[in-house]
Amino acid sequence: MARLSKKNHTQFLLFVGLMSWLLPGAGYFVLEERKRAMIIFVTISLILCIGLYVGSIGVIDLVGPAPLYVKAAQVMNSPVVLFISHRSAGGGYPVYGWPNEIGQIYTMISGLLNLLCIVNAVSLAQLGRIVPAGE
Amino acid sequence: MSLIGILVIATFTVPEQIRPNPQAMLWMLPLTAAIAIVYKATKLPTITAGVFFKEAAILFGSIIAFIIITALALYALVWLISV
Repeated sequence: MARLSKKNHTQFLLFVGLMSWLLPGAGYFVLEERKRAMIIFVTISLILCIGLYVGSIGVIDLVGPAPLYVKAAQVMNSPVVLFISHRSAGGGYPVYGWPNEIGQIYTMISGLLNLLCIVNAVSLAQLGRIVPAGE
Repeated sequence: MSLIGILVIATFTVPEQIRPNPQAMLWMLPLTAAIAIVYKATKLPTITAGVFFKEAAILFGSIIAFIIITALALYALVWLISV
């Protein structure tokens, strides 16, 4: 992968970003950061599952009345969200009140954490090192 | 698909019952832990179990402490306004 990055660096960065979106932590796996990849995959998947458990798959409805920022944050999880949205479209899984709010917050935060990981994985692929906090 | 598999999937199709009481605030704890873990996983130059758990625990504690301090300050402000 390191040789490939020298040959076609932009495509490699896009590949790392795409892999990170397809599966949380996969971008780090491509960069041979196995521990980091496992921690991120388990944590983000767990938070997404908790959100779906609390609020049901009804909290993900990309064509529903939810605000755009909710949908944008949820989409950052992985393409699984698109599949779930396709299944839950049409109001077949109604959810209201606190379960809806907590479910949305969990699925949004997991998506935003994955966005952080996508950006960080691409940054790692570009710079070749982790940028510590505050640098 | 097995019966257990169907039952597991079925739990994701019905929302849980959550009452708007003070205990519901505990739902922020797993979220805070996840934020601390993922942030530290992206920022530590090398991941070793001891350092990672220590750093994540410190960040988790810091976030919780800040939330509690903010809540107390807001509570005091409301108390001052309503007295």
